[in-house]
Amino acid sequence: MLEVKDIHKKFGDHEILKGVSLNVEKGDIIVILGPSGSGKTTLLRSINFLERAEKGTIDFKGIHTEFRSAGKKQIHEIRQHTGFVFQNYNLYANKTALENVTEGLTVARRVPKEEAIRRGKEALDKVGLSDRYDFYPSQLSGGQQQRVGIARAIVTNPDVILFDEPTSALDPELVGEVLNVMKTLAKEGATMIVVTHEMSFAQSVASRVVFMDQGVVVEEGSPHQMFSAPKDPRTMQFLKRVLREDFDYNI
Amino acid sequence: MKLNTQFMGQTLIHALAGVPVTLEITIVTLLISVPLAFLMALARIKGRGIGNRIISVYVSMIRSTPVVLQILFLYSLIPTLLNYLLNQVWHLDINIFRVNPIVYAFVVFSLNTTAILSEVFRSALLTVGKGQMEAALCAGLTSWQAYIRIVIPQALVSALPNLCNTSINLLKSTSLAFMMTVKDIMAITKVDAAFGYNYIEAYLVVFVIYIVLCTVVQLLFTFIEKNLSGYKKLVAG
Amino acid sequence: MRPFHPEFILTAFVQIIPYLWVTIATMIGTVVFGSLIGLILARANIRRGFVSRVLAQAYIYITRCIPSIVMLFIVYYGLPELMLGFGIDLNNMNKGFFVIVTFSILFSANMAEVFRSAYETIDKGQREAALCAGLSEWQAFYRIVLPQCIVVALPNFTNALVNLMKEGSLSYTIGLIDVMGKGQLMIGQNFGSYSLETYLALTVIYWGLTVIMEKGFGGLEERISKRKKLAAAS
Repeated sequence: MLEVKDIHKKFGDHEILKGVSLNVEKGDIIVILGPSGSGKTTLLRSINFLERAEKGTIDFKGIHTEFRSAGKKQIHEIRQHTGFVFQNYNLYANKTALENVTEGLTVARRVPKEEAIRRGKEALDKVGLSDRYDFYPSQLSGGQQQRVGIARAIVTNPDVILFDEPTSALDPELVGEVLNVMKTLAKEGATMIVVTHEMSFAQSVASRVVFMDQGVVVEEGSPHQMFSAPKDPRTMQFLKRVLREDFDYNI
Repeated sequence: MKLNTQFMGQTLIHALAGVPVTLEITIVTLLISVPLAFLMALARIKGRGIGNRIISVYVSMIRSTPVVLQILFLYSLIPTLLNYLLNQVWHLDINIFRVNPIVYAFVVFSLNTTAILSEVFRSALLTVGKGQMEAALCAGLTSWQAYIRIVIPQALVSALPNLCNTSINLLKSTSLAFMMTVKDIMAITKVDAAFGYNYIEAYLVVFVIYIVLCTVVQLLFTFIEKNLSGYKKLVAG
Repeated sequence: MRPFHPEFILTAFVQIIPYLWVTIATMIGTVVFGSLIGLILARANIRRGFVSRVLAQAYIYITRCIPSIVMLFIVYYGLPELMLGFGIDLNNMNKGFFVIVTFSILFSANMAEVFRSAYETIDKGQREAALCAGLSEWQAFYRIVLPQCIVVALPNFTNALVNLMKEGSLSYTIGLIDVMGKGQLMIGQNFGSYSLETYLALTVIYWGLTVIMEKGFGGLEERISKRKKLAAAS
């Protein structure tokens, strides 16, 4: 359904992505793991053109284009059919929770206002914020803000939702509420690409785990395969380190 | 030192006739400058090239030189230049020297205020995080929609304190409009003062009027800010 | 259209430049006295005393509302009369005196805000950490707090200084012969001709002064904050 091939992306002289390919089928929950600086976030941002990749192609919703030569219309079309959840929420500071969610419907998709509000409330109810419609972002906790962020991403019924480290900016005690919402979405059959450091989420929810390091995909497979029998030494080392940290946390 | 209070009372009444003129210059200037400055700020953030160079030289020149110099320069340039263009080049036979001098005040103060406000708006636009734009793009808005609905409303709110400062400075600078023979508060009092050498009394009257005007402007901005920046308020708990 | 003589810009420039020292001298005088008053105001504003704080804030508020030219005229006409009441005759006083008094009053309000914002941005922990590390109170202030204050205050100070220079150009209205005064004098002597050329020469001078001040203080700020970064790295 969504296929990217051979993405290359440089920042200055520094090559962040050195030929990454990814194939996503409907209903897939793909979790991308890897040490910081491995290019996970850049991959995600390149897919919906928040960064412009220098090389590579994308196949999505009948659009087949080079990243380099994609035009305004194609970019707009791709963004219309994807949702994006940011690490630091990026809720519109001047809009209420409900307005944050409906903005993409009324303005970008010309959905009539009443229908937009109905769908917006539905989305907020789904993430457990039915009592926070009219709150401004500054009045919400980090976890609540991120749940609004998720509602904003799902309200348009996107074909695929991109999560960029959705829990990294949260206090530890708020991580759970966001992960629970994501798990519910996964169960309902949403297609998701998730960049995260939450190993338990990867283990229990992912349909496929992709391990990246230094701008390439080192290894990918089912969670079971990746966590119990990783093949590449870099994967092994990474998992050993983070799982031990996880373990330390639990004490 | 004894103050001639009777004279002060009279001058106050005379000078009040100049208040609408002062306010007119201030308000018209703001109405012209705010949109122009905003477009300039957007152009400087988004664009590059020769146009941007010209804008930044203009802004730097205006910000680096005294208002009084700008007034004297433009007031000795514009009328003669217009007169030459209208009558010698286009033969329109318009007597430019009969134009109400307040028009020159609009031009001079707008040139000045636009430059200053363009910097105010530029920094205000830059304070709105990049993430706001990205989130709007991801929701499928075009970058124009994102600017108009998300970025600009936030930038305007964060520009308010500086906009207030600029307005007060503008209000103060209009006291120099008498140099262009505009009959504002200052011009009227100057005439009164010279009549009986009651300089101190006359300028004390102007002093008081400006404190009142300045207070009104500040209250106005406080009111606007209260109404627009509701979203910034943090509810405890 | 009256003829325009670009070469006269240079002539005017050469004739005006000798009066630059008047402009700079009045600025220095104003900065010295204005900063002193500003320091007192800032202290009054920071300290707890209710009356002194209200007075300081009223002073700052009022000076912020007054056009410089009005203040200049009040001081120029009012101060001699006021002092005459104390038996002091200021009528033959140099014009520069009134200019410095006027702009010290106005500049001090700006400086008070510069001092206050610099003081408030410095975290108390900085001083406490320095004291705990065994520095004396004076060493903590001089080596830790002051450099940080300067970095915060410098851009605001530069702004205030540029403003002072621009507002100071009004001094010609009471007859001070600084660069602006000399320019106006020349135009008068030429019966109004060459006015555009003269104003352009003045524009170049003021613009140049502003650039020098901004570059100079900007460079200073960079050096101080770089030293801070180096110190942090070592």
